[in-house]
Amino acid sequence: MLGFLFARQTGLDDPLRLKRAESTRRVLCMELNQDRDVERIHGNGINTIDIEVIEGRYMLSGGADGVIVIYDLENHSRKPQYTCKSVCTVGRSSRHVHKFSVETVQWYPHDTGMFVSSSFDKTMKVWDTETLKPAEIFRFEGNIYCHQMSPIAKKHSLIAVGTKDPKVQLCDLKSGSCIQVLQGHRGEILSVRWSPRHEYILATASADSSVRLWDVRRATGSLFALDQHNGDRSKASFANMAHNGRVNGLCFTADGLFLLSAGTDDRMRLWKAASGENTLVNYGKVANETRKGLKFAVSQGCSPEFAFVPCGSSVAVYALHTGELVTMLRGHYNNVDCCEFHPDYQELYSGGKDCNILAWVPTPRKPDVEDEGQRSTTAESESTLNPAFEDAWSSSDEDG
Amino acid sequence: MNRKRTLIPETFTAKKWKSGSDNVGVQANDGPFDIKAALESLMSLFNRKLFNDTLPRIVLQHQLYSLHGDRTSVDRQLNELREKGEVLVFQMGFDAEAVGVVFTEDYREKVLAGEAGRATLGAVEKFLNNVLPSCPDMSFNKDQMLQQFFFTDAEITQLVKCGVLTVKDAGSWWLAIPNSGRFTKHFIQGRKAVLGMIKKSRYNEILMSDLERRQTTSQVKFQMKYHIHDIIGAEMVNRISTTSGVLLRFVES
Repeated sequence: MLGFLFARQTGLDDPLRLKRAESTRRVLCMELNQDRDVERIHGNGINTIDIEVIEGRYMLSGGADGVIVIYDLENHSRKPQYTCKSVCTVGRSSRHVHKFSVETVQWYPHDTGMFVSSSFDKTMKVWDTETLKPAEIFRFEGNIYCHQMSPIAKKHSLIAVGTKDPKVQLCDLKSGSCIQVLQGHRGEILSVRWSPRHEYILATASADSSVRLWDVRRATGSLFALDQHNGDRSKASFANMAHNGRVNGLCFTADGLFLLSAGTDDRMRLWKAASGENTLVNYGKVANETRKGLKFAVSQGCSPEFAFVPCGSSVAVYALHTGELVTMLRGHYNNVDCCEFHPDYQELYSGGKDCNILAWVPTPRKPDVEDEGQRSTTAESESTLNPAFEDAWSSSDEDG
Repeated sequence: MNRKRTLIPETFTAKKWKSGSDNVGVQANDGPFDIKAALESLMSLFNRKLFNDTLPRIVLQHQLYSLHGDRTSVDRQLNELREKGEVLVFQMGFDAEAVGVVFTEDYREKVLAGEAGRATLGAVEKFLNNVLPSCPDMSFNKDQMLQQFFFTDAEITQLVKCGVLTVKDAGSWWLAIPNSGRFTKHFIQGRKAVLGMIKKSRYNEILMSDLERRQTTSQVKFQMKYHIHDIIGAEMVNRISTTSGVLLRFVES
């Protein structure tokens, strides 16, 4: 660590190197910390969590009873012990609350004045954070499994919505209606993700075992479907399948170069986003039994990158490019449904059926124990010495 | 100089193996993995006499995962060996993910010995000499066989008859091991029996040393170690290191 600091000071190393090394060290020592807690508001399981991109201060969570809660993650109390309090709630008593479970919530990518939530009551609501009233309601024919707004879009404000219908709907915030439909899948759409690199590229995962990449500007169908055997005809069966079962989770890496997909065949696959090639990284058996979408997260700014996948009642941490299981984060009492990585502090927030949101925080460094010799020479060190360690007896003969 | 590519030094990463016991304790993770030595050691567990020496020694790909923790590098090295033509890979058929590995010379020897004296010898020899060295795939297409390798329909029928090819669907075939049906039958029986032994134990777990010492029933025709590598690699049991040795715990699915 000191070596890294010295190298950065003298200019031998790029500043990014120290940042990346320290981020990785922090991710590797994540654990439950008694000092950090999230206030328990939900009375039912938590389905989705989103942390806003701008400041990383506010967190949205959507529950299985339709309740939406906003938490403040910043610690202004000047004490290490801190509970993230809820700022406001759209509770069961609100007139506009969702009737059934909220499946996905997302902050508006450019400011926290707005957020969008979609639910099994077949509506997607665009809320005004100030008044907690929906500014816009989009209605659909089937249950909505997921939605997402592109985090980098400047030229469009489309929300991609995945429902029970095999057609992916694109809703425009500016006009307030569903302006485009992407046809190609044959089963319900369980996950949609915009690429963080190109604002028009969208990836969708469906129950028909395929993952398709779309350019929304194109009138004709998808760009390509991901094939787990990389076109190796010797192993392929009838159609291009990304998984041998339903594909229920998608996540792009922060640079948009790789796409991670998880399916009910208990496998996770890493794909190159530009060519659709399977990198053939073997993660082993990643238990996946959810009938809905699986929400997992990928770390940012570390090297090597890590994937945090909810597996039963714990969160599995995999090294992204080698496929090894680094550790299992255990702490929830029931199934974990979603997890979200906070890139600035290298913290992980996970929510599950036990109505808790747990914060996994990197262990703080222990203060260094100074040498015996140094202690006697410096005057300041004596004041920082713990009184329990001070010698209580005197060396003179008179005082007993 | 591309400094960004250098990995963080070992001394800097703290607390790597946090909950070190479950699922993470692996054998021999350090050092480069010698895949040939691993394959040899697994092949030595294969019981030749059971099949009267008519079958080449077969090992399943996931048995290699129990010998080395890094699955991705095992897969890559196996692919390299396959490209070089030293091993052949087959879809075993009983499981979508079960892939069998056989040494090429072994396979050749056994197939030719099985075909000796029969009329189909010509077609099989042609297949082994022309197709296998150039195309180490698991399955073949009708166009490939007719145009690329100049086989006639009659010759393809002969190959299917003697078991070198099995029908996948209309116009495509899997590469197969002749008479491998008996291997599959005994293997599945043995696997079920070993898993049954673990399920019957208290708490569905058993020490690996205990399991190896147990008397195998008549159902288990292969060596116990062969089956143990199989169930660990297929993740049907979790390998947990304890103070009394390695514990195998059955995974509920």
